[in-house]
Amino acid sequence: MRWLSEEKARRVEKRFGEAVAYYRTEHTAGLKVKKEQLKELLRYLKEREGFKQFVDLTCLDYPERKERFEAVYLLYDPDENERVVVKSSTDGTLPTVTDLWPGAKWAEREAYDMFGVTFEGHENLRRMFLWEGYEHHPLRKDFPLGGYKEVELPSLTELLHGRTDPPSHDFELAHTRLPTLEDLERTEKARLKKKAELVLNWGPLHPGTHGTIWFLFDLEGEKVVQCDVILGQLHRGMEKIAENLHYFQFLPYTDRMDYLSAVCNELAYVETVERLLGVEVPEKARYIRTLFAELQRINSHLLWLGTGALDLGALTVFLYAFREREKIMDILEGNAGYRLTTCFLRIGGVHYDLAEGTLEAVKQFIKTFPESLKEYHALLTRNRIWLRRTKGVGVITKEDVYAYGLTGPVARASGVPYDLRKLQPYAAYDEVEFDVPVGEVGDVYDRYLVRMEEMRQSLRIVEQCVSKLEKLPKDAPYVNKEHPAVMPPREDVYNALEDMVKTFRLVVHGEPAPEGEVYFAGENPRGELGFFVFSKGDGKPYRLRIRSGALYNLSIFPKLIEGRTIADAIALLGSLDPVVGETDR
Amino acid sequence: MERELIESLLFTVLKVLVVVPVALGVGAYLTWFERKLAGHIQNRMGPTVVGPFGLLQPLADALKLATKESVIPRGADRPVYYLAILLALVPSVLLLALIPWGPAFELGGRVIKPIISDVNVALLLAFAFGSLSVYGTIFSGWASNSKYAFIGSMRKAAVVIAYEVVLGFSVLGVVLLAGTLSTVGIVQAQIERGVWFILYQPVAFVLYMFCMLAESGRVPFDVQEAEAELVTGYNVEYGGMKFGAFPLAEWYLNVIALSAIAVVLFFGGWSGPSILGPLSPYFWFLVKTFGLVFFTMWLHWTLPRFQAKDITDVAWKILLPVAIANVVVTAVVKYFF
Amino acid sequence: MRVKKVFRKDYLTLLESVLFLDFLKGLSVTLKNLLRKPITTQYPKEKLTPPKRFRGAHGHFVWDGTEPPSLKAIEKFMSYEKAKSRCVACYMCQTACPMPTLFRIEAVQTPDGKKKVTRFEMNLLNCLFCGLCVDACPVGCLTMTDIYELASYSRRDEVFSVEQLEERGKDYKARRGDEPERIWPNDEERKRLWGEIKWSG
Repeated sequence: MRWLSEEKARRVEKRFGEAVAYYRTEHTAGLKVKKEQLKELLRYLKEREGFKQFVDLTCLDYPERKERFEAVYLLYDPDENERVVVKSSTDGTLPTVTDLWPGAKWAEREAYDMFGVTFEGHENLRRMFLWEGYEHHPLRKDFPLGGYKEVELPSLTELLHGRTDPPSHDFELAHTRLPTLEDLERTEKARLKKKAELVLNWGPLHPGTHGTIWFLFDLEGEKVVQCDVILGQLHRGMEKIAENLHYFQFLPYTDRMDYLSAVCNELAYVETVERLLGVEVPEKARYIRTLFAELQRINSHLLWLGTGALDLGALTVFLYAFREREKIMDILEGNAGYRLTTCFLRIGGVHYDLAEGTLEAVKQFIKTFPESLKEYHALLTRNRIWLRRTKGVGVITKEDVYAYGLTGPVARASGVPYDLRKLQPYAAYDEVEFDVPVGEVGDVYDRYLVRMEEMRQSLRIVEQCVSKLEKLPKDAPYVNKEHPAVMPPREDVYNALEDMVKTFRLVVHGEPAPEGEVYFAGENPRGELGFFVFSKGDGKPYRLRIRSGALYNLSIFPKLIEGRTIADAIALLGSLDPVVGETDR
Repeated sequence: MERELIESLLFTVLKVLVVVPVALGVGAYLTWFERKLAGHIQNRMGPTVVGPFGLLQPLADALKLATKESVIPRGADRPVYYLAILLALVPSVLLLALIPWGPAFELGGRVIKPIISDVNVALLLAFAFGSLSVYGTIFSGWASNSKYAFIGSMRKAAVVIAYEVVLGFSVLGVVLLAGTLSTVGIVQAQIERGVWFILYQPVAFVLYMFCMLAESGRVPFDVQEAEAELVTGYNVEYGGMKFGAFPLAEWYLNVIALSAIAVVLFFGGWSGPSILGPLSPYFWFLVKTFGLVFFTMWLHWTLPRFQAKDITDVAWKILLPVAIANVVVTAVVKYFF
Repeated sequence: MRVKKVFRKDYLTLLESVLFLDFLKGLSVTLKNLLRKPITTQYPKEKLTPPKRFRGAHGHFVWDGTEPPSLKAIEKFMSYEKAKSRCVACYMCQTACPMPTLFRIEAVQTPDGKKKVTRFEMNLLNCLFCGLCVDACPVGCLTMTDIYELASYSRRDEVFSVEQLEERGKDYKARRGDEPERIWPNDEERKRLWGEIKWSG
């Protein structure tokens, strides 16, 4: 994947003259533009230069500057496989780009929520994750890390035990205000246009929402007239946390974003930081990473399959999927030490070498898994009920894919072969063979088929990784410990003074990152998971933007569900497969 | 005259006292069976903790449900709320009155029919009870003051309206062949001919199975529950034993009764080789019935779920024409041969 | 780039739909599984042994003669007792931890100029179980054991003192200290799920 070419940049500069400036860093390239020309430039890039896919939009806060906010747009040209960054400074207002890319709708709301930047012309500029009525904008640099305390609620367990003395550690007692039943009724009344309609609160806790998403369906009969999605129940402020931690310390947090594909998240994050720090990764580590990322992809797709089938009533498939998941989790647990939030990769390599017996277990899995895949196909693929529930539901066109910034299997099912493993190979993906499955129609059934095929392809990659890892010598390095920013393995710390000193330095001061910016995205089971790191040369990122595939994929949901029934909603939501840990971050 | 009336009443009460507790007990134990079956289908074990093989699990469940706090939602319509439970349970139990468990026999010079009420319009009654049971669902949905329950009950209403019609037509073929609406009569007609009606009416049997699943709200027709969409739909606001009554009535009693009627209609009732002496008719009847119950559960744990609008779609556009065609063909064939 | 169109046949043939072949196929799969052995581990009755690398509750290794060279080098600066925690209060675990409030570590200087650790408490309510603290510990003191049943009735029971940590460390070392880094101990319970695996060597 390339960044904006010199030639194109000159063309743009020629057209816009003074207002646009081309810049290039080691890892990115883009255009800086005055706010007044921003919209015009974006339109030009979309319509003339082919940057038709929306990737991401975010802001940065520089409190010391006069125009303190810097908006950052990220676009992609699918024909030439090229990315561009567009930056523009502002003191608080920006023109909306939702008319160019409807996918920017939620990104703009998020920027408004986190920075207080208003987007003129946005149809529904409300808070994205935090609640209505909250006064602060947490990603601004002057927002205190601990937040502003709100309501104090006593700890229930302590009260039960009759203890009134203050606890020895500071347990978090502050809670935010909770919405009441009256609040709900008020929203309901405000939404209804006709008497025959009713508002169905779907969530925040509902078995069909796959997490804590809150859907509001305005129903006429069973038909959804209008749908709103309320996110933020799982918002933990990952981006704010990242700004206050060293690079290596943020790693366990990435596990907790898309908690179903922890290794893939780690891989995307670690590769980003490695690009920033300039770390080479040894061959063995690259293969171990690929092996586990692909196992994790199968794992994640299995969960999608299980819950998707469960939603459509096929309870047994759920248990069959979990049976195979259990095996993958066993492999992960034996190597990383944890089943879900593995924390297995490290900057510069992996945490441990492969545990004894891993390859045998993986081989056993490779042997048995195709049999299980056949079972899933037999239970679902050609079943008439399954076909009725999935065929023609929620059709996504290619234009939708570009306009909403859809990625991952959702994009591929619509016939857009957007697979970052092929477009910008990382880890060992350029050394293994696999196909990119694409669909034609873009309905739920196609997304189902694409994911099922992806599991087969992942298994192929796993097979190749195993045979490669078998050939590599047992004592081949699994972490590049020579690099100054890479923590040496524990055994070395015990035995060598310089390694101990290096660990001390890294733990206390963090990685010596150069100044600059880097955007890197990994192909996650739920689409493109990108990390945009802005470094000012400290051990911590100045700003770390997480581009979540699941959030953008979910953003098309309200459009697709209009005019369909709530039974379709569940099939559709299952096929978009959001994970709230990642949409909310 | 008066003595006869009292005697027949007495016998009927006796029969009721035998059938109803047994049916309720079997219904409760079907929960155990279903959980065990589902477990093993899914490579799990099912209940194992309470008693050997978890056999006391239904008792433990009943105890748990009975001791739960009774919660009634705010704004619920109380009389209707309670009536719904009754209306769900009673028709399912009433259906059992029409099932001939075995042939008539003589005891002390008196002919005893092992059927609670042998009326000549038994099938008509059966479908009437079947339609009645939908009121339980609708009332529960309406009275709960909950949107989920309401949507679930509306779905069920639509399904039952569609499938009642198909059910009636699917059975007509058998009725034409047997020439009677009495359940005992239909079994006897099959025994006389020495052939089960499923051989003459395979299409009707498939249609009947569909209707049976739809009426009892089993997969693939469990739209009124649809736990992923509606969080078990119409009974979501019921707690404790009140909650337990609905699945007991719908999923178990209804399925037993409708399976038994299917056995009567298509599998020759109690007919079968005499391997247990005088008890063998009962044995065969129960074996056939539980075969069908098992098949229902097996389907339940295999298939996905239809969408409400697809169910009615299938019923009106596919099943009903097929059913009518079946009736017409049967009538024509019967008339000429 | 190899792009592969998925095989899509989204209708049933007449034969399939009349004879319900799709249902029969599904039913045969469930029947086959019905006859298989269950794979369940009956949890409270049977327990899987976690693998050697499992990251469970924390523990402290104690002074028992197996100290790594890094600790031996600073032994003379420390005031410690045999069979007590190896902690040297270097605060590395606390610094590496993403949660600043998890650790409480205090140390004093004894009159002879040696360092004595007076307090080491961990609040596992804040813990991510990421293992960064264990990686940061330069003297092989802090470890993570295979204990995973950590529920308790009060929040303050989740704050662990150094005595509890030592206890766990000793127990862990006695039970599993010499175990090789295998993917998992090859026990009967795992075989239920996995079947027989051909282990090499």
